[in-house]
Amino acid sequence: MTLEIREGCFSYGGQPVLDHVSLTAGPGDLIAVLGPNGAGKTTMLRCMLGFLHWQSGDSFLDGRSVRSIPPRELWRSIAYVPQARSFTSAATAEQTVLLGRNAHIGLFSQPKKKDIDLVHELLDRLHISHLAQKSCAGISGGELQMVLIARALAAEPKILVLDEPESNLDFRNQLIVLETMTDLTRQGMTVIFNTHYPDHALRRANKALLLHKGGQAQFGDTHSIVTEEHIRNAFQVRTVIGEIETDERIYRSILPLDLAAETAEIAPDTHRIATVSMILQDGEQAMQVNEILHEYSQYLVGRMGLPYRKAGVHIINVTLDAPQSEILALTEKLGRLSGCSVKATYAVGFQPT
Amino acid sequence: MKRTGLHPLWAVVLVLLPVLIGLAALCIGRISYPLPDIWNVLAARLTGAEADKQLTIVICNIRLPRVLLAMLVGAGLSVAGCAFQSLFANPLATPDTLGVASGTSFGAALALLMGMGLLGVQGIAFAFGILAVVLTWLTSAGNGKGLGSVVLGGIMIGSLFSSLVSLVKFTADTETQLPAITYWLMGSLSGAGYEPLKWGSPWIIGGILVLFLLRWQLNILPLGEDEARSLGTNLTALRAVTVICATAVTASSVAMCGQVGWVGLLIPHICRMAFGNDHRVLIPASISLGAAFLVIVDTIARSVSAAEIPISVLTAIIGAPFFIVLMRRSGGWRI
Repeated sequence: MTLEIREGCFSYGGQPVLDHVSLTAGPGDLIAVLGPNGAGKTTMLRCMLGFLHWQSGDSFLDGRSVRSIPPRELWRSIAYVPQARSFTSAATAEQTVLLGRNAHIGLFSQPKKKDIDLVHELLDRLHISHLAQKSCAGISGGELQMVLIARALAAEPKILVLDEPESNLDFRNQLIVLETMTDLTRQGMTVIFNTHYPDHALRRANKALLLHKGGQAQFGDTHSIVTEEHIRNAFQVRTVIGEIETDERIYRSILPLDLAAETAEIAPDTHRIATVSMILQDGEQAMQVNEILHEYSQYLVGRMGLPYRKAGVHIINVTLDAPQSEILALTEKLGRLSGCSVKATYAVGFQPT
Repeated sequence: MKRTGLHPLWAVVLVLLPVLIGLAALCIGRISYPLPDIWNVLAARLTGAEADKQLTIVICNIRLPRVLLAMLVGAGLSVAGCAFQSLFANPLATPDTLGVASGTSFGAALALLMGMGLLGVQGIAFAFGILAVVLTWLTSAGNGKGLGSVVLGGIMIGSLFSSLVSLVKFTADTETQLPAITYWLMGSLSGAGYEPLKWGSPWIIGGILVLFLLRWQLNILPLGEDEARSLGTNLTALRAVTVICATAVTASSVAMCGQVGWVGLLIPHICRMAFGNDHRVLIPASISLGAAFLVIVDTIARSVSAAEIPISVLTAIIGAPFFIVLMRRSGGWRI
């Protein structure tokens, strides 16, 4: 299923909040919606899902206008996780998750045993079965967020939309939520989430929508959207995107430096030579890696691959002569495969021709 | 582990409770009869056989309609209270939140002022109850103002009709009309009979039935607006149906027996404390306990003294202490 926004515009009292926003979300996409406070991130989600009316432009689910789809049909395909801090029910976690089945339950009917079984399966899958009989008023913020995600999944949707799922959570709970979202996209689901953290977009999302105050929006692959320049323009903060190295992988991370007033000039995307080396945990993945490398064939200058049967791993090395952004995009794509360790080594002193 | 519905044993208890209490209420009164007598009379009525004349009149024509009325009104007001607490996500909501009881009271006072009979009072009262809610809805709903403004509108319309009631009392004849109006406002089931029931009960039974069928949907109503919509609910329609049902039930109840305060607040909360917040259990429990509670209160009202005690007075005197004890022991409640 594809969810699409075409040229969506929305304003409050003549003040544009969203100005010609466009977005395309397909299966397996993990899309981050970024922007400073007041840039209209929540408004964007509410317009996209039909809670608010676009003033021009529209959102489409597989080509059909979202507002023209009957509610029960629409909400079997899309599920929405509201901000946890606005949730005040004292119902038990089990009852709360069961509400997620509503789009599958008739107006005058009651949930059946299969609905309840599905709820327990979901609680198990998200490792929160111990909360089943606890009141949602008495559990922690991280636990509540997982209960709300479980409720959304109970509708068996193809597309999951979350409003600031990892706000107000500690390190560990943020990771649990982000990891859950990543897992769902690996299974082919589409996940769209609002976030305050450019870092989370950089680390997890393959696409990003960056909203500016005043309504402008940029949408595209994360590596081309979440850049030092764009972040500086949107947030008025000078940042540096750096790399942190562990034994397996290089992680890109964004570090805020200081407040910036003026807009930055855009640095040219320089060509560099890099060797990207990876170790795969099984042969199946070699196929996926080949597919990804195929997209970059125009930049490849050398390639080597061999299975190390004794340890059951595959080792692949490729050398590219490519714009820096493309090299970053490739390592990120590879890094998102589970069980794939990947690193890029850059040539020093190379002058682009 | 899987507490997903009502335990079957509880279901049996909840069905039997109002029936047993109703039978007991038929026995008790100024003159008490043993249960077998009641049984014989009822059986004779059903089969068309002969039975003691006086006993038949007391049981079938005086006590039975009154017990039935108490059951319907008790069950109806409790369910309406539950529905409004869910709709407004507010534990303090009562069946009167949208001004229906004040409107109905004004209608009844007006009809009494004009010297109308029992059925006339019932009809006018019902009509004004509906009118009050329509006014509330017109003044405050729409344009995404939210339910908060509807509650405010209800308070305004309610106080408007309360003042109109005072105005009617002021102009009423102090010898005959004023006592009748005052007594009616305090609530009494003494007007029970088959004729008023014939006109009033369909609204109550219909409203209870629809809300009972919607009991799963009532779990969704207290959620935030976007949240409820995102669960695939047609929220506008669900809210409208809930208001219509609760209003029909309350207007018809108040039109038949005046203001019976407290039941719509007391019974739902007692049920919340005992059975939790799941409306799949809460609605049946409220119907059963509401019916049983009002039969007990009415039986006390008509049998402890020679003069009848107004029912509103008793619901509070019996209900409030019981409620406070329960609240202290269970540590309160939340929606």
